[in-house]
Amino acid sequence: MQPIEVQEALAAAVEEVLETMCFSAVFSSSETAFPEQNDGCVLMAQLRFEGSPSGEFQLAIPMPPARTIGSGFLGKEEAEISDEQTREVVCELANMFCGSVLSRLEAKTAFRLSHPELVSVPCGTPFDPPGIARWFELEAGSLAASVSFRQAL
Amino acid sequence: MKLSVMIVDDSPAMRSFVRRVLDMSGLEIERCLQASNGQEALDLMNGAWVDVVLTDINMPVMDGEELLQRMSVHSIFRAIPVVVISTDRTECRIQKMLSLGAKGYVTKPFTPEILREQLEQSLGVAHATD
Repeated sequence: MQPIEVQEALAAAVEEVLETMCFSAVFSSSETAFPEQNDGCVLMAQLRFEGSPSGEFQLAIPMPPARTIGSGFLGKEEAEISDEQTREVVCELANMFCGSVLSRLEAKTAFRLSHPELVSVPCGTPFDPPGIARWFELEAGSLAASVSFRQAL
Repeated sequence: MKLSVMIVDDSPAMRSFVRRVLDMSGLEIERCLQASNGQEALDLMNGAWVDVVLTDINMPVMDGEELLQRMSVHSIFRAIPVVVISTDRTECRIQKMLSLGAKGYVTKPFTPEILREQLEQSLGVAHATD
């Protein structure tokens, strides 16, 4: 498996999930961070996957785009959505992104995902994941997703 | 036909989404019960009949596989069609869930049309094998 394949899987998975489940479009995506990504506070969800290969998936998203995506996912106005509901949607997004990426990379081997967990990240901390990451520009901001494998690619 | 549906998922956000997609699908939903795991679903079904169960796989307490196994040996619940909703689209997982008794399998992400198609197909299969 080549890093470019992982990048392509990340791009396709995030775009498909956001468009189908959240009615939210991706304007562009990149292998490098957008300038505004490192400003402010982000929600970070992570989960482990067991299979062939095994590893970890991370999703980092600031609250404003998370709330917009949550609005589309739950079918409610942004003002109606609590912070707790926004966090639940972010965890569910991490789960769907990861499952979609893995299915694209390895369609024949079953995998098992752990429950997504929110990780506390100090505001202003740059998203600097250990694995292969991709940044996505959305209407209300941006998000970043990364995959790291236990076995080196 | 008005349907009574059971949604089983440990994510409240996902349960809300499935409920919304059911409304968007055009199916007539008379009642929608929700459970956060397989055990809770079985407990609820002991007190209320449902026409179809939509379940996730990975859940705490009782996962989707065990829910299917329990339902398949139950004198009444084995007649209720189960549709699995999962992020896992690998062929071996799909085949395993179908071999355990699932009548349909929907992979995330999905549209209202896909969910409706799977539900109608599953209900048709269930009725045909009654």
